[in-house]
Amino acid sequence: MVFNTGAALLDAIVLAVVSMDAEGTYGYKITQDVRQVIEISESTLYPVLRRLLKDGCLEVYDMEFGGRNRRYYKITDAGTAQLNLYISEWQIYSAKISNIFTGRRKHEQN
Amino acid sequence: MNRTEFMNELQRLLWDIPESERREALQYYNDYFDDAGPENEAKVIKELGSPEQVAKTIREGMFENGEYTERGYEDERFLDRQEVLDERTGHRQTTGNPWKLLSILLLCLILFPVIVPLCIVLVCILVAVIVGCIGIGIAAIVTAAVLPVIGIILVGIAFYNLLAAPAVGITLGGIGFLLLSVGILTFLLAVWACKTLAPLCLRAVIAVIRYPLRKAGVVR
Repeated sequence: MVFNTGAALLDAIVLAVVSMDAEGTYGYKITQDVRQVIEISESTLYPVLRRLLKDGCLEVYDMEFGGRNRRYYKITDAGTAQLNLYISEWQIYSAKISNIFTGRRKHEQN
Repeated sequence: MNRTEFMNELQRLLWDIPESERREALQYYNDYFDDAGPENEAKVIKELGSPEQVAKTIREGMFENGEYTERGYEDERFLDRQEVLDERTGHRQTTGNPWKLLSILLLCLILFPVIVPLCIVLVCILVAVIVGCIGIGIAAIVTAAVLPVIGIILVGIAFYNLLAAPAVGITLGGIGFLLLSVGILTFLLAVWACKTLAPLCLRAVIAVIRYPLRKAGVVR
């Protein structure tokens, strides 16, 4: 991808991905889901998850799966609030950018 | 490198981070391998790169932690506002500057009869001190060069006279050695002065000259 993903946007994407599962989701799946949207290396996500955890945006719990304990990540209320903030800011931001792009196209057509 | 080797190497590389952090990170990557499944093991290792790289990301993530909470969205906005404020005060300062400059110029004009002689006197003192220092330096160097020569000559004469007039010879020899040692001592002193005192003096002179210039904002 030609555009860089900043820390805030990456946080927002991760929060959105985690929030899609009400029961929470696990590291490997989060990575695969995020990688559907943006190109990141597999090792990028651990520090992000750790930070969101420290900030109280995510919480973890261990649940048995296939004879072992699997760590699940779940969004907290604070995380949801943060995500909503990110989403509203993103809508404003992306709308402005889109306006400029479409406005330019109209200008070229005239 | 297989999964076990990868994890062992990662554990080894993370030896210096806190125990809880290391356990968390290792559990994460263990889970990661488990969930990827044995069929994807090679692919995951390839994607993760080397254990060194993974350890580096974990470490950097820990290091960033303190800053990140402050770098939340709200704070970023606050930072922007602060920058604008700074800009504004900066403008105010630049608009205030001409007045300051004008008042300094006026002051200079009024004090012109006092300032010029004062400056001349200061410059004279500075030159005198510098010349004095140079003079002392030259004297020291000459002393350092001449004294050992005289000393050696005296010792030579002393040896020449030793058999004819032992008392005079020994006296001359003693004086000669004394002069030699004083000369060497002066030489060492001069070397020390050049090495430590000269740069110190130079720096002091530069500081004195720079002080008013910095206050006027010519240099930083």
